Amino acid sequence: MIKRYTSMEYKNPDDLVFGKALYPVSGRFGINIGAGFVVPEIKVAPKPGTEKDLETFVEHHKEITTEVLDICLQLGYKNIMIEQEHVFQQTLNPDYAYETALAQVEIAEKYHDEYGIGVLIEHTIADIRKEEEEGGIRGSDRTHRMFDAFEQSSSAGVGSVAIETIGGKEISDYTIGRGDIKGTLFGIGVCGSEDMAWVWPQIVKIATKHGTIPAGDTDCSQANTAMFLAGGLMDREVSHTVAAVIRAIAAAKSLVAVEAGAIGPLKDCGYENPIVKAITGVPICIECTSICACAHIEVMGNLNRATGDVYSNEAVEYHQEFGGSTAEVWTAVTGNAADLSNTALQARQEKILRDLLTYSDMYRDPQGLVLAWPNAWRIGKVITEYGNDPYLRSKYAAIEAGNIIMEAYENKKLKLSRWELDTLNKAMEILNSLTDDADKFIEDCIKEYKNIPLFDPKNYGWTGA
Amino acid sequence: MNGREIGWAIIEGMIAGMRPSVKEEVMDFEKIYTRYNVLEEEKKAGLKPEALIKDMMPSEDPWKTMAYAVFRGDTDTALNELKIALEKYKPQEVVDKGLAPGMNAVTKLYDDGVYYLPQVMLSADTMNTAIQYMEQTIGGKIEKKGKIVMHTAEGDIHDLGKNLAKVFLVSSGWDVIDLGRDVPVDDVVKAVEEIKPLMVTGTALMTTTMTAFPKIAKKLKEKGIEIPFICGGGAVNEDFIDTFDLGIIAKKAHQGPKYAEAALKGMSWEEIRKKRHEIAPI
Repeated sequence: MIKRYTSMEYKNPDDLVFGKALYPVSGRFGINIGAGFVVPEIKVAPKPGTEKDLETFVEHHKEITTEVLDICLQLGYKNIMIEQEHVFQQTLNPDYAYETALAQVEIAEKYHDEYGIGVLIEHTIADIRKEEEEGGIRGSDRTHRMFDAFEQSSSAGVGSVAIETIGGKEISDYTIGRGDIKGTLFGIGVCGSEDMAWVWPQIVKIATKHGTIPAGDTDCSQANTAMFLAGGLMDREVSHTVAAVIRAIAAAKSLVAVEAGAIGPLKDCGYENPIVKAITGVPICIECTSICACAHIEVMGNLNRATGDVYSNEAVEYHQEFGGSTAEVWTAVTGNAADLSNTALQARQEKILRDLLTYSDMYRDPQGLVLAWPNAWRIGKVITEYGNDPYLRSKYAAIEAGNIIMEAYENKKLKLSRWELDTLNKAMEILNSLTDDADKFIEDCIKEYKNIPLFDPKNYGWTGA
Repeated sequence: MNGREIGWAIIEGMIAGMRPSVKEEVMDFEKIYTRYNVLEEEKKAGLKPEALIKDMMPSEDPWKTMAYAVFRGDTDTALNELKIALEKYKPQEVVDKGLAPGMNAVTKLYDDGVYYLPQVMLSADTMNTAIQYMEQTIGGKIEKKGKIVMHTAEGDIHDLGKNLAKVFLVSSGWDVIDLGRDVPVDDVVKAVEEIKPLMVTGTALMTTTMTAFPKIAKKLKEKGIEIPFICGGGAVNEDFIDTFDLGIIAKKAHQGPKYAEAALKGMSWEEIRKKRHEIAPI
């Protein structure tokens, strides 16, 4: 059941601020998210080789969980979210998912009971579906295993579950590198949204059955691919203006999880989350370079901390640093960032800190500009205006992002290179020329992109194609 | 004003009336950060890309039109020209004199920091479509520089990196045998054993899937195969790749052809690993 958003939950953009969401989320082990304080998040990728057998894998995750909670005690943190993104072997093998979750939950419970620390254990199930498998992404063996992993992690007692769905990735992987905005709109805004509308009601059903929070989804596999390829200012793979426009499309897509019943905190990789928070009022995890440079070095610096409810390091491989293991070091980084925001909240100065975090990166790059809270709200508003149509809301979100960038450029706030300007103008011209008829657009795109390897319209329910 | 326009007028009023707690007008953002890409482009403002590669391009038709069609990513013109050319010239000559110069010119501009990835991708698409057309027409393969086996690691379905690298390799004239994604270790080893490529590549996004790479390298060595094994992808770093023989790190897709050229010159994997910054700068 999908309940579309056709109006904004945040009526006033100025109410968007870190640590506070209109609809906070509570879970086991004393956790509250978006309830007036920011919670740090840590995510550690297991040491290579620990996946070789179940026992080694589980022991390694016990080590990580214990180290994280110990450093929280050492540094006085009141809450922590420990996310574990499933590795391939974990989603594929039910016992890996269940046993790891069970071990982590037991440790979390012990620390919560003994010290009162709030702990959220989140499992992000890997989307291991393959288009080329028999049954496609809706009916293959891997599809069933993916849903089974939700069962396993939820039944073992994790606090929340999340995913990064890959619907439409076969299209966007092809189009992003070629600067093809029409195809990218189709891949993310249409195929991605269709896939989420199919996947998410099933996730919500499983999670709810076990009392687990259905947290959220991101456009990691698409908009983050654009961001990753866009890279730094001197990179020349993807134009930063186009990457910013793609981010707005991603918001219209990631929203589908909430429309299907996800309640947050929305998953960290979703740089588009400030837009989704503005629309829905649900709490969000965020990341940006100042707290996640171990995983991504992008040009958003501090900006997403302005609206985030959970500050995440995104991912770091387990190894030793001078300060301790990466589990300890990056818990310290996100914990200290969270506590600066918590201090601002206690001092009733949160809007000043919010704006400083925003301005520190708002005009550094168009990708940050469109996520700055006034602009995130503007894009959200357009999405809700066309809320019932995944295609139209994606298209107009993209156009609004382009308008925001052009305004900042014309007002001489944001400098753009000729390439950034040309590619934006070209993208806007194409977007503005597209039909407003979703069926016509889909029909046209199915024809135009039919030769992209792995693209099969049946994966998105277009059986007549 | 209709309803929608009235709604937007209210919203615009709200935005205009919204005052952030920190005053933007007192801030000088240029004292905080510099968009170096804008400065860099200004330095190159007078450059005309086509003038920079003029000497690399053929001066007479049909090669000139064909080369510029590849250069501009104009597939229709390239195909039309090569269809006419094939009536008179051998396919290999068409590649060497018409298509390849256009692709080389785009690659040069990319390497020199003038062109961008989408421009390379569009030219590569034109080049590859033209070669495919010719191979279908002649019912055989155009001669290539050498064979390269590519794959994405077992357990990994994220193959964008491989696919980008493949575009660079194919358009540079290499015969790529793409094993696909989520490829078992033994399948890679078997393929290398059978195909006998000059080089093998692997990409991985996760820490727990890149562990397939040393297993592949070990098995290849056990069979006496010592070719460069180029490894890249999200989680892959040189600290890991340098721990096993054959492995050479690649951080960008465009490094592939440069490593392949080094292998073609007879450089061993050890030499390539040692001189990687010189051979394939990022």
